[in-house]
Amino acid sequence: MFRLVLSSLLVAVAPTLAASQQAPHDSVRGAVRVVDARARTLEVTTGVGMALRVVRLQVPAAVPVTTSSAGSDQLALSDLKPGDVVRVTFGNRTGALVAYTIERIGRMATGVIPSP
Amino acid sequence: MTVRPGGGRAIVCSFAAAIMLAATGCRRPLKPGDPLRGLSASERNRFDQGKLVFDSVFTPETGLGPLFNANGCAECHEDPVAGGTGDEVERHATAFHQVAPAGARQCDELAGQGGPVYQNHVTAALHTALGIDSEPVPAAATAIAARTIPDVFGFGLLDAVPDSEILAYADPDDRNHDGISGRPNRFFDGRLGRFGRKALVPTLREFNDGAFAAEQGITTPASPTEETVAGTPIPAGTDPAPDPELTEQRAELADAFVRLLAPPAPLKFSREAREGSDVFKHLGCANCHVPTLTTGDSPVAALRHKQVAAYTDLLLHDMGPDLGDLCLGLATPTEFRTEPLMGLHLMPQFLHDGRAKTPEEAIELHGGEAARSRDLFHALPPGERAALLAFLKTL
Repeated sequence: MFRLVLSSLLVAVAPTLAASQQAPHDSVRGAVRVVDARARTLEVTTGVGMALRVVRLQVPAAVPVTTSSAGSDQLALSDLKPGDVVRVTFGNRTGALVAYTIERIGRMATGVIPSP
Repeated sequence: MTVRPGGGRAIVCSFAAAIMLAATGCRRPLKPGDPLRGLSASERNRFDQGKLVFDSVFTPETGLGPLFNANGCAECHEDPVAGGTGDEVERHATAFHQVAPAGARQCDELAGQGGPVYQNHVTAALHTALGIDSEPVPAAATAIAARTIPDVFGFGLLDAVPDSEILAYADPDDRNHDGISGRPNRFFDGRLGRFGRKALVPTLREFNDGAFAAEQGITTPASPTEETVAGTPIPAGTDPAPDPELTEQRAELADAFVRLLAPPAPLKFSREAREGSDVFKHLGCANCHVPTLTTGDSPVAALRHKQVAAYTDLLLHDMGPDLGDLCLGLATPTEFRTEPLMGLHLMPQFLHDGRAKTPEEAIELHGGEAARSRDLFHALPPGERAALLAFLKTL
């Protein structure tokens, strides 16, 4: 049931709750809050309405970081900037959330372009 | 056939009354809390069922808390009826940095530290575990702000306004040089925001589901995790209800109630109010408080292709430093969404934090992009000023 809930998302998964899960594959879409290329960590802000959540992820070196705006060009983790809108698939390994794929799909920007 | 004296006159009067009723659509004015006109039987049933959820009072055993602002939707949205405003005042907090820290955004909504909504109450179990009476605001906050309770009448219509219509009013770089920008806010996934005082939330459904989580501590399938205590997970044993604490069906019904609430009917225009409507436009108020928005397609006929006298553009505008408080998404501390003026006559207080006790006071507190309109208001002859206020009191 809980896995179904996570899969249904919209939604962020609080690390503590996610840590109790064995779901191999979840995803989140949100904005890069903090990226630390040296520590290979990424924080993504997401949530529902005013109930906001932060998903903290480890990003192994082999994880593909791509962008949808230019086909499937490969990016480095350090190319991601705070405010970039990303879609991340991830799983839970030994109590930590680990990214499987990261796709940059846009940016939180105040222009009049339609939503990504 | 017997003809009663005066019977002919009675028939004429009845006929005239029938014509007048027909001319006005044979309708009594909508009252606050009424559903939209033209709902199907099924929609009306969902509205009624949803009101039961909206009126529900929750306990820790049925999902309340452990952190919460209210034990039910109607505890806050109660005046004059369910869906209206209330006298509660919430605490929200964020951190805004003039220069973005390395690797981070300029605005930190403190989402990782329990923000931006800091609940005013805790359950007895959480109080026992942590010895707190409310959620503490972390030291990282640069602003703590008061937020009053908006009424939610007509929000379904606002939800049905297409993004394209809102974006058509946007002028983020003030290219027309009228001093009014109008910036869209965006949620963290890039979608256009429109709900909330900073226009962060894209859809009504998310606004409602998020309120269950952030205001009542009630998890839903869309928001299945509890709030943290300023970033620390709630202690084991303090939340007796299994997640999600509200079923999808009940969350959907609550949403249906809010979505199908009619906007408050404006009061009858006096001649003075009609003049005030012209003053409203002359002062430039209507540049942001756009009188009418038009909804797009909707599965609900009562929401489809309707005009709504919302008096908002649902965009962000700089309101000047005196009103500034939180950042949120792309909204800087001084930017606020144009507050919809529909239902203004039902409001006991004004502006996002309730600091204005009258519409006149609220106008006086406008700054930033609205400074010119405020100054023009100052310069109005008494008659035109009175006319403008008379108009506002009809909305």
